[in-house]
Amino acid sequence: MLQQALNGISFGALLFVLAAGLSLVFGMMDVVNLAHGAFYMLGAYLALSIVRWSGSFWIALLVVPLVLAALGLLIEPLLLRRLRGRHLDQVLVTIGLSLVIVDFIRLRDDWGWGGEVRSLAVPAGLDHSIAVAGSDYPLYRLFVIGFGVALALTLGLIHRRTRIGALIRAGVGDAEMLGALGVDTDRLFARTFAAGAALAGLAGVIAAPVFGLQPGMDVDALIFSLIVVVVGGLGSLGGAVAGSAVVGPADTFGTVLFPQFALALIFAIMALVLLFRPTGLLGRVRIGR
Amino acid sequence: MTNTKAPNELAARRGYSYRMSRRSFLVTASAAALAAACAPVATSGSAATAASSAAATAGKVLKMGQLLPFTKVYAELGNSMRRATDLYLKNAGNTLAARPVQVIYEDEANDPQVGLQKTQKFIDQDHVDVMLGIVATPIAYAVRNVIDSSKLLFIETNAGGNALTRTTAGCKPSCKSPYIFRASFSSYQVSEPIGEYLSGKKGVKDAFVFIADYGFGTESAADFTTGFAKNGGKITGTLKAPLGSADFTPFVTQLKAQPTKDIYSFFSGADAVKYIKAWNDLGMTASGYKMNGAGFLTEQDVLREVKSAADGATTSLFWAFELDNPENKAFKDLFQKEYKLLPDVFAVQAWDGMRALDQALQKVGGDTSDKQKLIRALEDVKFKSPRGDFEFDKDTHNPIQDMYIREVRTVGGQAVNAIVDKIGRVTDPGK
Repeated sequence: MLQQALNGISFGALLFVLAAGLSLVFGMMDVVNLAHGAFYMLGAYLALSIVRWSGSFWIALLVVPLVLAALGLLIEPLLLRRLRGRHLDQVLVTIGLSLVIVDFIRLRDDWGWGGEVRSLAVPAGLDHSIAVAGSDYPLYRLFVIGFGVALALTLGLIHRRTRIGALIRAGVGDAEMLGALGVDTDRLFARTFAAGAALAGLAGVIAAPVFGLQPGMDVDALIFSLIVVVVGGLGSLGGAVAGSAVVGPADTFGTVLFPQFALALIFAIMALVLLFRPTGLLGRVRIGR
Repeated sequence: MTNTKAPNELAARRGYSYRMSRRSFLVTASAAALAAACAPVATSGSAATAASSAAATAGKVLKMGQLLPFTKVYAELGNSMRRATDLYLKNAGNTLAARPVQVIYEDEANDPQVGLQKTQKFIDQDHVDVMLGIVATPIAYAVRNVIDSSKLLFIETNAGGNALTRTTAGCKPSCKSPYIFRASFSSYQVSEPIGEYLSGKKGVKDAFVFIADYGFGTESAADFTTGFAKNGGKITGTLKAPLGSADFTPFVTQLKAQPTKDIYSFFSGADAVKYIKAWNDLGMTASGYKMNGAGFLTEQDVLREVKSAADGATTSLFWAFELDNPENKAFKDLFQKEYKLLPDVFAVQAWDGMRALDQALQKVGGDTSDKQKLIRALEDVKFKSPRGDFEFDKDTHNPIQDMYIREVRTVGGQAVNAIVDKIGRVTDPGK
């Protein structure tokens, strides 16, 4: 049971990395970025190429978020900015973007991507098991837990203690007023979108050694991250933590106790949350939009 | 015909559905008409040797419908089968039994409704002479009745659902048809013999079953159980994972928490990769557990990704890349020369489907108008395939074929399926 609890927590930690970016972008820009899953997938495939080329997982972990951030910095002004305020159009653009990215990956047989299953080796040093409560447990999954917790703490600190954090909080509260106070919101939005993409890419790198790479992984990731932010509360960091802390273990224990209904279980949790706390576990009522 | 081939290849490379535009249809149709007009001159030599009754059809374009997945989860399987089909035709000079061949590829998109529509199109619009293909069992079941009632000759080249070539009560969920032949396998053939082998030759007393929770997984588990019980083997428990589960570690943790060491599994593709990686992460082999399964668990697409993590796994299939016979060697060489790619089991099945059709057509002199004669010719087909001796069971139209017991080993840094045993002439019971 302890092992299954660890499985659930590490799955939750991974979901947090994935959902944090989606939540951040939504909180600031009011856009549900449906290309988030495709960014995650792109991150995983980039990691595959970088590891093949450099031989190091750690370089991939460092470089992939930077590449995705650069992509985000390009996409926001090019595609999303001119549609600001037209939420539905923005959502449609992100769907289109995800289709382009996914098809691009499938076309690139020559980069070792393509439509077949791929996998990434667990990085050396973390590729063995250690004894946990009398049984062997893979070290990499413990690393995933540690990484998720460290990332949550770091993001929390940035959120509370830094100027950019203050800007983000203000932007989530009322972006228009923030602009009126002289903050360059265009630049802030582009950076937020870039940060969201970088987090998706980071999740892709971290997840690749566990979940592998295959067509369709973008949709799985998107659905899970949407569930997490809906359960936890849209647009807040604490919400992403709470949501992944609930959904990760719920999915794992669901598969253990009644495998046929595992997915139904997390959707049931989502439905219950929506019924009794429509803003999510840690969501706040938002006004003025 | 060369100018119509380019868009085909482009479509396949992109993994998109091959749908003919009106323009390319016109080009193809006129090229085919031209070829048909020229054919009597080109093939007059061989036409003389053909049976006299076939003189009317020799030179007439043979229309072949290929229903394969080019999008969704099985797109790579469809692409591989298409490569084998194109290669076979290229090798045969684009003619079968002196008839120039026009292949119409359609995408079944892993959807029974789409598959049914495309089959109707083959029948009503394209008026194809024969149909081949279909990867997923639900699609094969969905098109069975329309094929049977319109008397379209169909050679199925992957889907393994038992009922397609069996006598079943009320034809539920499907049943055999005189017009349907299967060049692939039935679930029974890849699952029952390994059960019998493990409990018999290997003396395994207990096994635990862990399968993908869908029709084919369930069918495979049931057939394995039957075979395993024949020598007194006992199934101690069953665990099912939803198809496409994100995380396999919780399942393998459960396998490790139960005492039966021999595990029988049915997974393929991405699920197989995740399963084997989780198996390795949790040190199952070191703890004395042993992985067994139907062959798709350890085919090349999986082994390439998991490397040595599957070493020691025992699986059964009707082919292996490493199978040592002249036909397999020739096939592999030809395929690699053409595509710079290794063929897989799906390519073998498509190849054998074409080969069976070719041989039957030769026998009837290319005449596809007399269906009964063509069916009898197919029933008599016998040849040496890359998988070994191939023939159809006259009663069910399912192949009679050898099953190879393979063990995953790392040879020269590469994980391969080494052949360790053979179960000869495995025949589906037919009910």
